[in-house]
Amino acid sequence: MTATLDRRDRAPRTGPPAVEVAGVSKVFGSGTDAVVALDGVDLTVAPGEFVCLLGASGCGKSTLLNLVAGLDQPTSGTVAAGTARPAVMFQEAALLPWLTAGRNVELPLRLAGVGRQRRKERAQELLGLVRLEGQADKRPHELSGGMRQRVALARALAAATGTAGSGATEVQPGVLLMDEPFGALDAITRDFLQAELLRVWEATGTTILFVTHDVRESVRLAERVVLLSSRPGRVVREWGTGEDTDAEELHDHITSELREVISAHGR
Amino acid sequence: MAADDQAVLTEERDESIDVGRGLDALDTPTERRVPWWRRFATSVLPPIVAVVLFIVVWQILWASAIWPEFKLPSPEAVFGTIGAEFASGQALSIIWTSISRAVLGFLFALVIGTPLGLLVATVPVVRSAIGPILTGLQSLPSVAWVPAAVLWFGLTDGTIYFVVLMGAVPSIANGLVSGIEQVPPLLPRVGYAMGASRSQAARLIMLPAALPGFFAGLKQGWAFSWRSLMAAEIIATSPSLGFGLGAYLNQGQSLSDMPSVMAAILLILIVGIGVELIAFRPAERRILRARGLATGP
Repeated sequence: MTATLDRRDRAPRTGPPAVEVAGVSKVFGSGTDAVVALDGVDLTVAPGEFVCLLGASGCGKSTLLNLVAGLDQPTSGTVAAGTARPAVMFQEAALLPWLTAGRNVELPLRLAGVGRQRRKERAQELLGLVRLEGQADKRPHELSGGMRQRVALARALAAATGTAGSGATEVQPGVLLMDEPFGALDAITRDFLQAELLRVWEATGTTILFVTHDVRESVRLAERVVLLSSRPGRVVREWGTGEDTDAEELHDHITSELREVISAHGR
Repeated sequence: MAADDQAVLTEERDESIDVGRGLDALDTPTERRVPWWRRFATSVLPPIVAVVLFIVVWQILWASAIWPEFKLPSPEAVFGTIGAEFASGQALSIIWTSISRAVLGFLFALVIGTPLGLLVATVPVVRSAIGPILTGLQSLPSVAWVPAAVLWFGLTDGTIYFVVLMGAVPSIANGLVSGIEQVPPLLPRVGYAMGASRSQAARLIMLPAALPGFFAGLKQGWAFSWRSLMAAEIIATSPSLGFGLGAYLNQGQSLSDMPSVMAAILLILIVGIGVELIAFRPAERRILRARGLATGP
Protein backbone atom coordinates (compact mmCIF):
# COMPACT_ATOMS: atom_id res chain seq x y z
CA MET A 1 0.00 0.00 0.00
CA THR A 2 1.28 3.42 -0.86
CA ALA A 3 -0.12 6.57 0.57
CA THR A 4 1.02 10.05 -0.19
CA LEU A 5 0.50 12.90 2.18
CA ASP A 6 -2.13 15.39 1.12
CA ARG A 7 -0.22 18.53 1.89
CA ARG A 8 -1.22 21.71 0.27
CA ASP A 9 1.41 23.89 -1.27
CA ARG A 10 2.46 26.56 1.12
CA ALA A 11 4.04 29.88 0.50
CA PRO A 12 7.76 29.73 1.30
CA ARG A 13 8.34 30.81 4.85
CA THR A 14 10.19 34.02 5.42
CA GLY A 15 11.06 36.15 8.40
CA PRO A 16 12.99 35.34 11.55
CA PRO A 17 12.62 31.81 12.96
CA ALA A 18 9.82 31.22 15.47
CA VAL A 19 12.04 29.02 17.61
CA GLU A 20 15.81 28.94 17.54
CA VAL A 21 17.77 26.49 19.67
CA ALA A 22 21.53 26.78 19.30
CA GLY A 23 24.11 24.44 20.83
CA VAL A 24 21.89 23.64 23.78
CA SER A 25 23.07 21.21 26.44
CA LYS A 26 21.26 20.28 29.62
CA VAL A 27 22.86 18.39 32.48
CA PHE A 28 20.85 17.27 35.49
CA GLY A 29 22.74 16.79 38.73
CA SER A 30 26.50 17.15 39.07
CA GLY A 31 29.67 15.14 39.63
CA THR A 32 29.42 11.39 39.02
CA ASP A 33 25.62 11.41 39.24
CA ALA A 34 25.29 13.92 36.40
CA VAL A 35 22.94 12.91 33.62
CA VAL A 36 23.42 14.58 30.26
CA ALA A 37 19.89 14.97 28.90
CA LEU A 38 20.74 17.10 25.88
CA ASP A 39 24.08 17.57 24.16
CA GLY A 40 24.67 20.28 21.59
CA VAL A 41 21.21 20.39 20.09
CA ASP A 42 20.55 22.79 17.22
CA LEU A 43 17.02 23.27 16.00
CA THR A 44 15.39 26.02 14.01
CA VAL A 45 11.64 26.19 13.45
CA ALA A 46 10.27 28.60 10.85
CA PRO A 47 7.11 30.61 11.60
CA GLY A 48 4.05 28.52 10.79
CA GLU A 49 6.05 25.31 10.53
CA PHE A 50 4.90 21.99 12.06
CA VAL A 51 7.89 20.09 13.47
CA CYS A 52 7.80 16.76 15.30
CA LEU A 53 10.52 15.82 17.78
CA LEU A 54 10.72 12.04 17.68
CA GLY A 55 12.66 9.84 20.06
CA ALA A 56 12.58 6.94 22.51
CA SER A 57 12.26 7.44 26.24
CA GLY A 58 15.07 9.39 27.84
CA CYS A 59 16.00 11.25 24.67
CA GLY A 60 15.35 14.55 26.39
CA LYS A 61 12.56 15.60 24.04
CA SER A 62 10.39 16.80 26.91
CA THR A 63 13.45 18.51 28.42
CA LEU A 64 13.98 20.34 25.14
CA LEU A 65 10.33 21.37 25.08
CA ASN A 66 10.57 22.68 28.65
CA LEU A 67 13.61 24.74 27.69
CA VAL A 68 11.78 26.28 24.74
CA ALA A 69 8.78 26.94 26.98
CA GLY A 70 11.01 28.75 29.45
CA LEU A 71 10.04 26.33 32.25
CA ASP A 72 13.71 25.39 32.64
CA GLN A 73 17.10 26.90 31.78
CA PRO A 74 19.76 25.23 29.56
CA THR A 75 23.15 24.39 31.06
CA SER A 76 24.78 25.90 27.98
CA GLY A 77 23.66 27.24 24.62
CA THR A 78 20.81 29.60 23.81
CA VAL A 79 17.09 29.23 23.32
CA ALA A 80 15.14 31.97 21.58
CA ALA A 81 11.44 31.74 20.94
CA GLY A 82 10.22 34.51 18.66
CA THR A 83 8.47 37.49 20.15
CA ALA A 84 5.69 36.02 22.24
CA ARG A 85 5.74 33.40 24.98
CA PRO A 86 5.13 29.91 23.57
CA ALA A 87 2.07 28.05 24.83
CA VAL A 88 2.43 24.49 26.15
CA MET A 89 0.07 21.54 25.99
CA PHE A 90 0.77 18.46 28.09
CA GLN A 91 -0.21 14.81 27.93
CA GLU A 92 -2.91 15.48 30.49
CA ALA A 93 -5.35 18.24 29.63
CA ALA A 94 -4.44 19.89 32.99
CA LEU A 95 -7.61 21.99 32.96
CA LEU A 96 -8.43 23.74 36.20
CA PRO A 97 -11.25 21.57 37.56
CA TRP A 98 -13.12 24.43 39.27
CA LEU A 99 -13.43 26.52 36.09
CA THR A 100 -15.82 25.91 33.21
CA ALA A 101 -14.40 25.06 29.78
CA GLY A 102 -14.90 28.67 28.68
CA ARG A 103 -13.14 30.08 31.74
CA ASN A 104 -10.25 27.70 31.28
CA VAL A 105 -9.77 29.02 27.75
CA GLU A 106 -10.05 32.58 29.05
CA LEU A 107 -7.43 32.07 31.77
CA PRO A 108 -4.27 32.88 29.73
CA LEU A 109 -6.01 36.02 28.43
CA ARG A 110 -6.98 36.94 31.97
CA LEU A 111 -3.38 36.51 33.09
CA ALA A 112 -2.35 38.81 30.24
CA GLY A 113 -4.81 41.45 31.41
CA VAL A 114 -7.32 41.20 28.55
CA GLY A 115 -10.74 42.70 29.34
CA ARG A 116 -13.65 40.48 30.30
CA GLN A 117 -15.78 41.01 27.22
CA ARG A 118 -12.92 40.61 24.77
CA ARG A 119 -11.63 37.42 26.35
CA LYS A 120 -15.08 35.91 26.48
CA GLU A 121 -15.55 36.50 22.76
CA ARG A 122 -12.11 35.07 22.02
CA ALA A 123 -12.84 31.97 24.13
CA GLN A 124 -16.10 31.39 22.23
CA GLU A 125 -14.25 31.78 18.97
CA LEU A 126 -11.54 29.28 19.95
CA LEU A 127 -14.02 26.76 21.37
CA GLY A 128 -15.82 26.99 18.04
CA LEU A 129 -12.54 26.35 16.26
CA VAL A 130 -12.06 23.06 18.15
CA ARG A 131 -15.76 22.24 17.59
CA LEU A 132 -16.88 22.70 21.17
CA GLU A 133 -19.38 25.47 20.57
CA GLY A 134 -22.09 25.43 23.23
CA GLN A 135 -19.88 23.55 25.73
CA ALA A 136 -18.38 26.64 27.33
CA ASP A 137 -20.39 26.24 30.55
CA LYS A 138 -19.46 22.60 31.11
CA ARG A 139 -16.91 21.73 33.76
CA PRO A 140 -13.94 19.54 32.84
CA HIS A 141 -15.37 16.49 34.65
CA GLU A 142 -18.48 16.70 32.47
CA LEU A 143 -16.41 16.33 29.29
CA SER A 144 -14.79 13.26 27.70
CA GLY A 145 -11.02 12.86 27.52
CA GLY A 146 -10.90 13.94 23.88
CA MET A 147 -13.07 16.99 24.54
CA ARG A 148 -10.89 17.99 27.49
CA GLN A 149 -7.81 17.77 25.31
CA ARG A 150 -9.55 20.01 22.75
CA VAL A 151 -10.35 22.55 25.49
CA ALA A 152 -6.66 22.38 26.40
CA LEU A 153 -5.83 23.00 22.73
CA ALA A 154 -8.15 26.01 22.66
CA ARG A 155 -6.54 27.29 25.87
CA ALA A 156 -3.05 26.82 24.44
CA LEU A 157 -4.13 28.68 21.30
CA ALA A 158 -5.47 31.49 23.48
CA ALA A 159 -2.12 31.62 25.26
CA ALA A 160 -0.12 31.48 22.02
CA THR A 161 -2.15 33.90 19.96
CA GLY A 162 -3.92 36.26 22.30
CA THR A 163 -1.15 38.22 23.95
CA ALA A 164 -0.11 40.56 21.17
CA GLY A 165 0.13 44.22 22.13
CA SER A 166 -1.05 45.70 25.39
CA GLY A 167 -4.72 45.77 24.46
CA ALA A 168 -4.37 42.28 22.96
CA THR A 169 -6.81 43.02 20.19
CA GLU A 170 -4.42 41.80 17.55
CA VAL A 171 -4.21 38.08 16.91
CA GLN A 172 -0.80 36.68 16.08
CA PRO A 173 0.02 33.13 14.96
CA GLY A 174 2.10 32.29 18.03
CA VAL A 175 4.06 29.17 18.95
CA LEU A 176 2.49 26.01 20.32
CA LEU A 177 4.57 23.38 22.14
CA MET A 178 2.91 20.00 22.52
CA ASP A 179 4.29 17.27 24.78
CA GLU A 180 2.73 13.98 23.61
CA PRO A 181 -0.72 15.57 23.87
CA PHE A 182 -2.61 12.56 22.50
CA GLY A 183 -0.58 9.89 24.30
CA ALA A 184 -3.26 9.10 26.88
CA LEU A 185 -6.18 8.83 24.44
CA ASP A 186 -7.70 5.77 22.76
CA ALA A 187 -6.81 5.07 19.13
CA ILE A 188 -9.97 6.40 17.47
CA THR A 189 -10.00 9.60 19.50
CA ARG A 190 -6.30 10.07 18.82
CA ASP A 191 -6.87 9.66 15.09
CA PHE A 192 -9.69 12.20 15.19
CA LEU A 193 -7.70 14.70 17.21
CA GLN A 194 -4.72 14.42 14.87
CA ALA A 195 -6.99 15.40 11.98
CA GLU A 196 -8.43 18.21 14.10
CA LEU A 197 -4.99 19.49 15.01
CA LEU A 198 -3.97 19.61 11.33
CA ARG A 199 -7.16 21.50 10.52
CA VAL A 200 -6.61 24.00 13.35
CA TRP A 201 -2.97 24.42 12.36
CA GLU A 202 -3.96 25.19 8.78
CA ALA A 203 -6.64 27.60 9.97
CA THR A 204 -4.46 29.54 12.40
CA GLY A 205 -0.96 29.39 10.91
CA THR A 206 0.43 28.67 14.37
CA THR A 207 3.96 27.31 14.64
CA ILE A 208 3.86 23.86 16.26
CA LEU A 209 6.66 21.92 17.93
CA PHE A 210 5.23 18.51 18.72
CA VAL A 211 6.94 15.85 20.85
CA THR A 212 6.03 12.20 20.30
CA HIS A 213 7.48 8.69 20.35
CA ASP A 214 4.97 7.48 17.76
CA VAL A 215 6.55 7.35 14.29
CA ARG A 216 3.19 7.13 12.51
CA GLU A 217 1.89 10.18 14.35
CA SER A 218 4.98 12.19 13.48
CA VAL A 219 4.83 11.27 9.78
CA ARG A 220 1.16 12.09 9.60
CA LEU A 221 1.36 15.44 11.35
CA ALA A 222 4.69 17.07 10.76
CA GLU A 223 6.23 18.84 7.82
CA ARG A 224 9.59 17.96 9.31
CA VAL A 225 10.45 15.06 11.60
CA VAL A 226 13.50 15.44 13.83
CA LEU A 227 14.90 12.25 15.37
CA LEU A 228 16.71 12.57 18.70
CA SER A 229 19.08 9.99 20.19
CA SER A 230 18.85 8.97 23.84
CA ARG A 231 21.16 9.83 26.73
CA PRO A 232 22.55 12.18 25.69
CA GLY A 233 19.91 13.62 23.40
CA ARG A 234 21.37 14.70 20.07
CA VAL A 235 19.75 15.39 16.73
CA VAL A 236 20.38 12.21 14.70
CA ARG A 237 18.63 13.03 11.46
CA GLU A 238 15.68 14.89 10.10
CA TRP A 239 13.24 14.25 7.29
CA GLY A 240 10.93 16.54 5.40
CA THR A 241 7.48 15.34 4.45
CA GLY A 242 6.80 17.03 1.14
CA GLU A 243 3.80 16.60 -1.09
CA ASP A 244 5.27 13.69 -3.04
CA THR A 245 6.54 11.77 -0.02
CA ASP A 246 5.47 8.17 0.30
CA ALA A 247 4.20 8.06 3.90
CA GLU A 248 4.56 4.28 4.31
CA GLU A 249 8.09 4.26 3.02
CA LEU A 250 9.07 7.20 5.20
CA HIS A 251 7.42 5.54 8.21
CA ASP A 252 9.40 2.32 7.66
CA HIS A 253 12.58 4.25 7.13
CA ILE A 254 12.22 6.36 10.28
CA THR A 255 11.17 3.32 12.30
CA SER A 256 14.33 1.39 11.34
CA GLU A 257 16.45 4.40 12.19
CA LEU A 258 14.70 4.73 15.57
CA ARG A 259 15.27 1.00 16.24
CA GLU A 260 18.94 1.55 15.48
CA VAL A 261 19.07 4.40 18.00
CA ILE A 262 17.36 2.30 20.67
CA SER A 263 19.41 -0.87 20.14
CA ALA A 264 22.61 1.15 20.39
CA HIS A 265 21.77 1.38 24.10
CA GLY A 266 21.42 -2.38 24.51
CA ARG A 267 24.92 -3.15 23.30
CA MET B 1 -9.33 34.99 11.49
CA ALA B 2 -12.96 34.11 12.11
CA ALA B 3 -13.62 34.03 8.38
CA ASP B 4 -10.72 31.61 7.90
CA ASP B 5 -12.08 29.28 10.56
CA GLN B 6 -15.46 29.26 8.90
CA ALA B 7 -13.94 28.34 5.53
CA VAL B 8 -12.16 25.37 7.04
CA LEU B 9 -15.18 24.24 9.02
CA THR B 10 -17.40 24.02 5.96
CA GLU B 11 -14.81 22.12 3.93
CA GLU B 12 -15.60 18.60 2.75
CA ARG B 13 -14.84 16.84 5.97
CA ASP B 14 -18.33 15.87 6.98
CA GLU B 15 -17.28 12.35 7.75
CA SER B 16 -14.70 13.47 10.24
CA ILE B 17 -17.17 15.91 11.78
CA ASP B 18 -19.62 13.05 12.31
CA VAL B 19 -16.93 10.91 13.90
CA GLY B 20 -16.09 13.77 16.20
CA ARG B 21 -19.72 14.33 17.19
CA GLY B 22 -20.17 10.60 17.73
CA LEU B 23 -17.10 10.40 19.95
CA ASP B 24 -18.25 13.40 21.96
CA ALA B 25 -21.72 11.91 22.41
CA LEU B 26 -20.44 8.45 23.38
CA ASP B 27 -17.57 9.47 25.64
CA THR B 28 -19.21 12.28 27.57
CA PRO B 29 -19.77 11.15 31.14
CA THR B 30 -23.48 10.89 31.84
CA GLU B 31 -24.84 12.19 35.09
CA ARG B 32 -27.54 10.12 36.68
CA ARG B 33 -30.42 12.17 38.08
CA VAL B 34 -31.69 10.74 41.32
CA PRO B 35 -35.42 11.31 41.98
CA TRP B 36 -36.16 13.36 45.09
CA TRP B 37 -37.97 10.54 46.90
CA ARG B 38 -34.98 8.25 46.50
CA ARG B 39 -32.65 10.97 47.78
CA PHE B 40 -35.06 11.43 50.71
CA ALA B 41 -35.11 7.68 51.33
CA THR B 42 -31.33 7.32 51.24
CA SER B 43 -30.14 10.47 52.97
CA VAL B 44 -32.89 12.04 55.10
CA LEU B 45 -34.86 9.05 56.32
CA PRO B 46 -32.06 6.91 57.86
CA PRO B 47 -30.91 9.50 60.45
CA ILE B 48 -34.53 10.21 61.43
CA VAL B 49 -35.18 6.49 61.92
CA ALA B 50 -31.97 6.20 63.95
CA VAL B 51 -33.00 9.05 66.26
CA VAL B 52 -36.50 7.63 66.73
CA LEU B 53 -35.04 4.18 67.51
CA PHE B 54 -32.67 5.76 70.02
CA ILE B 55 -35.54 7.50 71.82
CA VAL B 56 -37.63 4.31 71.81
CA VAL B 57 -34.77 2.31 73.36
CA TRP B 58 -34.28 5.10 75.92
CA GLN B 59 -37.99 5.07 76.76
CA ILE B 60 -37.93 1.26 77.20
CA LEU B 61 -34.87 1.40 79.44
CA TRP B 62 -36.49 4.13 81.52
CA ALA B 63 -39.77 2.21 81.78
CA SER B 64 -37.97 -0.96 82.89
CA ALA B 65 -36.61 1.09 85.84
CA ILE B 66 -33.15 -0.54 85.90
CA TRP B 67 -31.59 2.75 86.99
CA PRO B 68 -33.14 5.23 89.40
CA GLU B 69 -34.89 8.29 88.02
CA PHE B 70 -32.09 10.71 89.00
CA LYS B 71 -29.64 8.70 86.87
CA LEU B 72 -31.83 8.07 83.85
CA PRO B 73 -34.70 10.52 83.45
CA SER B 74 -37.45 9.84 80.92
CA PRO B 75 -37.20 11.32 77.43
CA GLU B 76 -40.34 13.24 78.30
CA ALA B 77 -38.67 14.93 81.28
CA VAL B 78 -35.62 15.92 79.23
CA PHE B 79 -37.61 17.28 76.29
CA GLY B 80 -39.95 18.93 78.79
CA THR B 81 -36.97 20.76 80.31
CA ILE B 82 -35.81 21.89 76.87
CA GLY B 83 -39.35 23.04 76.03
CA ALA B 84 -39.66 24.98 79.29
CA GLU B 85 -36.31 26.70 78.73
CA PHE B 86 -37.41 27.73 75.24
CA ALA B 87 -40.80 28.89 76.54
CA SER B 88 -39.15 31.13 79.14
CA GLY B 89 -36.77 32.48 76.50
CA GLN B 90 -33.75 31.44 78.54
CA ALA B 91 -32.70 28.75 76.06
CA LEU B 92 -32.23 31.25 73.26
CA SER B 93 -30.13 33.54 75.43
CA ILE B 94 -27.95 30.60 76.60
CA ILE B 95 -27.48 29.31 73.07
CA TRP B 96 -26.78 32.80 71.72
CA THR B 97 -24.09 33.40 74.37
CA SER B 98 -22.29 30.22 73.32
CA ILE B 99 -22.78 30.49 69.57
CA SER B 100 -21.67 34.11 69.37
CA ARG B 101 -18.50 33.24 71.29
CA ALA B 102 -17.82 30.19 69.12
CA VAL B 103 -18.37 32.12 65.88
CA LEU B 104 -16.23 35.05 67.01
CA GLY B 105 -13.50 32.68 68.21
CA PHE B 106 -13.69 30.77 64.93
CA LEU B 107 -13.33 33.99 62.93
CA PHE B 108 -10.30 35.00 65.02
CA ALA B 109 -8.86 31.53 64.40
CA LEU B 110 -9.47 31.99 60.67
CA VAL B 111 -7.66 35.32 60.64
CA ILE B 112 -4.68 33.83 62.47
CA GLY B 113 -4.68 30.33 60.98
CA THR B 114 -4.85 31.26 57.28
CA PRO B 115 -1.66 33.35 57.05
CA LEU B 116 0.05 30.90 59.39
CA GLY B 117 -0.87 28.01 57.09
CA LEU B 118 0.28 29.95 54.02
CA LEU B 119 3.58 30.68 55.70
CA VAL B 120 4.14 27.06 56.72
CA ALA B 121 3.16 25.77 53.29
CA THR B 122 5.34 28.14 51.28
CA VAL B 123 8.43 28.90 53.38
CA PRO B 124 10.54 25.76 53.94
CA VAL B 125 12.36 27.15 57.01
CA VAL B 126 9.10 28.03 58.75
CA ARG B 127 7.77 24.64 57.80
CA SER B 128 10.59 22.66 59.35
CA ALA B 129 10.55 24.98 62.38
CA ILE B 130 6.88 24.98 63.37
CA GLY B 131 5.20 22.42 61.07
CA PRO B 132 5.61 19.50 63.51
CA ILE B 133 4.55 21.69 66.47
CA LEU B 134 1.40 22.69 64.62
CA THR B 135 0.57 19.06 63.92
CA GLY B 136 1.33 18.16 67.53
CA LEU B 137 -0.93 20.91 68.86
CA GLN B 138 -3.76 19.38 66.84
CA SER B 139 -3.64 16.26 68.99
CA LEU B 140 -3.36 18.20 72.26
CA PRO B 141 -6.87 18.51 73.74
CA SER B 142 -7.36 22.23 74.12
CA VAL B 143 -9.08 21.71 77.47
CA ALA B 144 -5.54 21.25 78.76
CA TRP B 145 -5.03 24.97 78.20
CA VAL B 146 -7.89 25.98 80.53
CA PRO B 147 -5.93 26.00 83.81
CA ALA B 148 -3.09 27.98 82.24
CA ALA B 149 -5.51 30.40 80.61
CA VAL B 150 -7.35 30.97 83.90
CA LEU B 151 -4.05 31.82 85.58
CA TRP B 152 -3.01 34.12 82.72
CA PHE B 153 -6.27 35.90 81.94
CA GLY B 154 -8.38 35.29 85.05
CA LEU B 155 -12.07 34.54 84.68
CA THR B 156 -12.56 36.76 81.65
CA ASP B 157 -13.61 36.29 78.04
CA GLY B 158 -9.88 36.28 77.26
CA THR B 159 -9.60 32.82 78.83
CA ILE B 160 -12.45 31.48 76.74
CA TYR B 161 -11.17 32.91 73.46
CA PHE B 162 -7.63 31.74 74.15
CA VAL B 163 -8.81 28.16 74.62
CA VAL B 164 -10.97 28.34 71.48
CA LEU B 165 -8.03 29.68 69.44
CA MET B 166 -5.68 26.98 70.68
CA GLY B 167 -8.27 24.45 69.54
CA ALA B 168 -9.09 25.86 66.12
CA VAL B 169 -5.95 27.57 64.78
CA PRO B 170 -3.86 24.38 64.29
CA SER B 171 -6.70 22.68 62.41
CA ILE B 172 -7.26 25.61 60.07
CA ALA B 173 -3.55 26.12 59.40
CA ASN B 174 -2.94 22.40 58.86
CA GLY B 175 -5.94 22.18 56.55
CA LEU B 176 -4.48 24.90 54.36
CA VAL B 177 -1.05 23.25 54.40
CA SER B 178 -2.39 19.87 53.32
CA GLY B 179 -4.69 21.52 50.78
CA ILE B 180 -1.70 23.20 49.14
CA GLU B 181 0.36 20.00 49.37
CA GLN B 182 -2.29 18.03 47.51
CA VAL B 183 -2.43 20.35 44.49
CA PRO B 184 -1.30 18.31 41.46
CA PRO B 185 2.17 19.67 40.50
CA LEU B 186 1.06 19.99 36.87
CA LEU B 187 -1.33 22.86 37.69
CA PRO B 188 1.27 25.43 38.83
CA ARG B 189 3.43 24.37 35.86
CA VAL B 190 0.54 25.07 33.52
CA GLY B 191 0.14 28.44 35.23
CA TYR B 192 3.77 29.41 34.71
CA ALA B 193 3.65 28.15 31.11
CA MET B 194 0.71 30.51 30.54
CA GLY B 195 2.72 33.39 31.93
CA ALA B 196 1.25 33.71 35.41
CA SER B 197 3.20 35.90 37.82
CA ARG B 198 3.85 34.58 41.33
CA SER B 199 0.89 36.42 42.83
CA GLN B 200 -1.39 35.46 39.94
CA ALA B 201 -0.38 31.81 40.30
CA ALA B 202 -1.13 31.95 44.03
CA ARG B 203 -4.45 33.74 43.66
CA LEU B 204 -5.89 32.15 40.53
CA ILE B 205 -4.40 28.66 40.66
CA MET B 206 -2.93 27.53 43.99
CA LEU B 207 -5.60 28.86 46.36
CA PRO B 208 -8.64 27.62 44.40
CA ALA B 209 -6.86 24.29 43.88
CA ALA B 210 -6.17 24.04 47.62
CA LEU B 211 -9.73 24.99 48.57
CA PRO B 212 -11.10 21.45 49.24
CA GLY B 213 -8.31 20.69 51.72
CA PHE B 214 -8.57 24.15 53.29
CA PHE B 215 -12.31 23.74 53.69
CA ALA B 216 -11.86 20.37 55.40
CA GLY B 217 -9.55 22.21 57.81
CA LEU B 218 -12.18 24.91 58.38
CA LYS B 219 -14.78 22.28 59.18
CA GLN B 220 -12.51 20.61 61.68
CA GLY B 221 -11.56 24.03 63.00
CA TRP B 222 -15.21 24.79 63.71
CA ALA B 223 -15.72 21.45 65.47
CA PHE B 224 -12.64 22.14 67.60
CA SER B 225 -13.75 25.68 68.46
CA TRP B 226 -17.13 24.39 69.59
CA ARG B 227 -15.62 21.63 71.73
CA SER B 228 -12.96 23.89 73.21
CA LEU B 229 -15.59 26.49 73.99
CA MET B 230 -17.71 23.94 75.85
CA ALA B 231 -14.69 22.71 77.81
CA ALA B 232 -13.79 26.27 78.74
CA GLU B 233 -17.36 27.16 79.72
CA ILE B 234 -17.77 24.08 81.89
CA ILE B 235 -14.52 24.56 83.78
CA ALA B 236 -14.29 28.35 83.96
CA THR B 237 -17.65 29.45 85.35
CA SER B 238 -18.23 32.83 86.86
CA PRO B 239 -21.07 35.35 86.79
CA SER B 240 -18.69 37.70 84.97
CA LEU B 241 -18.44 35.23 82.10
CA GLY B 242 -22.07 35.18 81.06
CA PHE B 243 -24.25 32.09 81.00
CA GLY B 244 -23.62 29.78 78.06
CA LEU B 245 -24.41 26.13 77.36
CA GLY B 246 -21.35 24.91 79.24
CA ALA B 247 -22.28 26.92 82.31
CA TYR B 248 -25.83 25.60 82.05
CA LEU B 249 -24.49 22.05 81.96
CA ASN B 250 -22.24 22.76 84.94
CA GLN B 251 -25.17 24.22 86.87
CA GLY B 252 -27.26 21.11 86.13
CA GLN B 253 -24.50 18.96 87.58
CA SER B 254 -24.17 21.00 90.78
CA LEU B 255 -27.94 20.93 91.29
CA SER B 256 -28.00 17.15 90.55
CA ASP B 257 -30.68 18.01 88.00
CA MET B 258 -30.28 15.15 85.50
CA PRO B 259 -32.96 16.32 83.04
CA SER B 260 -31.26 19.68 82.56
CA VAL B 261 -27.81 18.00 82.27
CA MET B 262 -29.14 15.83 79.47
CA ALA B 263 -30.98 18.78 77.95
CA ALA B 264 -27.69 20.71 77.88
CA ILE B 265 -25.84 17.82 76.26
CA LEU B 266 -28.58 17.49 73.65
CA LEU B 267 -28.53 21.22 72.89
CA ILE B 268 -24.72 21.24 72.55
CA LEU B 269 -24.99 18.34 70.13
CA ILE B 270 -27.83 19.92 68.17
CA VAL B 271 -26.03 23.26 67.79
CA GLY B 272 -22.85 21.50 66.62
CA ILE B 273 -24.71 19.40 64.07
CA GLY B 274 -26.93 22.32 63.05
CA VAL B 275 -24.01 24.62 62.18
CA GLU B 276 -22.38 21.79 60.27
CA LEU B 277 -25.57 21.10 58.29
CA ILE B 278 -26.60 24.71 57.67
CA ALA B 279 -23.25 26.39 57.05
CA PHE B 280 -20.56 23.87 56.18
CA ARG B 281 -22.26 21.00 54.37
CA PRO B 282 -23.84 23.08 51.54
CA ALA B 283 -20.63 25.08 50.97
CA GLU B 284 -18.53 21.94 50.94
CA ARG B 285 -20.88 20.27 48.48
CA ARG B 286 -20.67 23.24 46.15
CA ILE B 287 -16.88 23.22 46.29
CA LEU B 288 -16.64 19.48 45.65
CA ARG B 289 -19.42 19.31 43.06
CA ALA B 290 -17.84 22.08 41.00
CA ARG B 291 -14.72 19.93 40.82
CA GLY B 292 -16.62 16.75 40.01
CA LEU B 293 -15.56 15.17 43.31
CA ALA B 294 -18.57 14.35 45.51
CA THR B 295 -21.14 12.85 43.21
CA GLY B 296 -22.82 10.64 45.80
CA PRO B 297 -26.25 11.44 47.27
